[in-house]
Amino acid sequence: MAWGSSSSFPRAILHIDGDAFFAACEVAKDPSLRGKPVITGKERGIVSAATYEAKACGIKRGMILSEVKRICPEAVILPSDYETYSLFSERMYAVVRRYTPAVEEYSIDECFADLTGLRRSLHMSYPQIAKKIKQQLDHELGMTFSIGVSVTKTLAKIGSKWKKPSGLTIISLRDAPQYLKIIPTGAVWGIGPQTSAFLQKFGITTALDFACRDKSWIQAHVSKPFYETWQELNGVMVNELNLTGRETYQSISKTKTFTPPSTDSAFVYAQLSKNVENACIKARRWKLSTPLVFFFLKTQDFHYHGYEVSLPFPTSNPLDILREINIYFPRVFKKSARYRATGVTLINLTEEGTLQLDLFGAVRESEGVKQVFESTDKLAERYGKHVVFLGSSFEAMGNAAHLGERGDVAARASNLFKGETKRRRLAIPMLGSVQ
Amino acid sequence: MQRPEEKIASFYHKRHRMPSYSELATLLGYKSKGAVAYVVERLISEGVLQKDRTGRLLPGSLAEGVRMLGLVEAGFPSAAEEELLDVMDFDEYLTPNKESSYVLKVKGDSMIDAGIQEGDMVIVERRQTYKPGQIVIASVDGEYTIKYLRKERELYYLEPANVKYKSIYPKDRLTIEAVVTAVVRKY
Repeated sequence: MAWGSSSSFPRAILHIDGDAFFAACEVAKDPSLRGKPVITGKERGIVSAATYEAKACGIKRGMILSEVKRICPEAVILPSDYETYSLFSERMYAVVRRYTPAVEEYSIDECFADLTGLRRSLHMSYPQIAKKIKQQLDHELGMTFSIGVSVTKTLAKIGSKWKKPSGLTIISLRDAPQYLKIIPTGAVWGIGPQTSAFLQKFGITTALDFACRDKSWIQAHVSKPFYETWQELNGVMVNELNLTGRETYQSISKTKTFTPPSTDSAFVYAQLSKNVENACIKARRWKLSTPLVFFFLKTQDFHYHGYEVSLPFPTSNPLDILREINIYFPRVFKKSARYRATGVTLINLTEEGTLQLDLFGAVRESEGVKQVFESTDKLAERYGKHVVFLGSSFEAMGNAAHLGERGDVAARASNLFKGETKRRRLAIPMLGSVQ
Repeated sequence: MQRPEEKIASFYHKRHRMPSYSELATLLGYKSKGAVAYVVERLISEGVLQKDRTGRLLPGSLAEGVRMLGLVEAGFPSAAEEELLDVMDFDEYLTPNKESSYVLKVKGDSMIDAGIQEGDMVIVERRQTYKPGQIVIASVDGEYTIKYLRKERELYYLEPANVKYKSIYPKDRLTIEAVVTAVVRKY
């Protein structure tokens, strides 16, 4: 591959990454948090996101909160407010779409955008467009973003990581080797510790070592996804932006932790039942049904006990799934154990509608019940989630998931305007009260 | 002078049935049924009349044609889509710059003379610059405050709309967070 290619930007791909996004959303709402170590994830018991001030104290993602309190007693620990984070996320995409319709919503705090060919119509160079986008994002959302601009997604991602927080790094095709020679292979998007260790055996340490190997060596030694990474590091765009958004799921998981841990079989079963209901709601929303489920109970000492259960026919009806789970639940549940979480995964999801009748008429019976769930979905749309639910989920629905301090809910759910309800609120971030 | 189809339509609507051939002869002023048949064939080919399997006449477009006329005369046509191109919903009206808009809930009565009451929702916009005279949200000691932004001899300060409160003069720096663009109150 020729590095000295005539054009610096055969393509112009932007990668935008929110800096400590969840924590930054909290700080953007509340000025009293500015400059302080702030952490989200109180309801999970572990750190979801931490501001740079918190990271400076040694706090890392996934750390247990008791550990946080020990090393950084002044840290502000907040429950997650996913509604607000999602509203900010939508705004991030919307700001970028002012410049280009080609935006890939990669995750809640990251997106890719294709700026190729926009220099003339916007009367700006690619770095200028990126700078303008960054200014508007930082200003309108009240938090900082890190941006990378380069010729492929993989290189753009290296750019956005290069300087954090609040960085803007432009990597032209010509300059790319200077960046690649500094970063280790493990820091490249898609290269994990296993592959990194494997490459090390061949004397490949930096991203540039990897990029400089010739094509035949790459094809002989690594699998296709890494060959694509190699191409992208060499400036060849193989990974186009996915502009359609998510179209389907192969599997759907629902897991919920509860505190305090429980030894009560009915309560633990209700938690599982609620997860099954939630998974089915999501499956129905995407018009999918499942032939296979996995369910588990997690004990207080973090051990998982579960079963994979195949269903007599593909379904998105929680009653069909619970009927099968009922056979295995007593085998998994031990009276002597304390449980802290349950979960369920619907596996091998297929489009619903391709219906195969079984011998004993169970499919037809389930079809009749289907209308019931079509109605509950409509009720939920109108009156909010879980306005009606299965009796078996009752014990899990009545109480908040967590008693005690972890039961704190995000402020937005309790500070309502007239006309808002606990279930439905205005789709605009609320900054709190003002005197 | 009425046309034949109008005469037939009028008969049909008065008596709620189609005329016989002899009645048609009288109606249209012909002596021979052959002349009647000639006119009927023409009207059938135009779709105004129809014949059933036994040869009796049925109203074709004649029946609906009259009804359509009535509909048009009854009033204005229903709202066409083009007429609604120049309207907006409340979302757009209240938050024209959606991505930079936020809401806050008012506590206290410091802006009561500006018509802003306790419990009101204020819609605000984050902007690059703010001007004196605007009602703004500022952060003072880590808390939001809503006041008029004022300027006196190059010095910015915050003025309440209530004589019970004093103006706030910044010690070192004044941070304006947003400008108030609307107040919403539901009853």
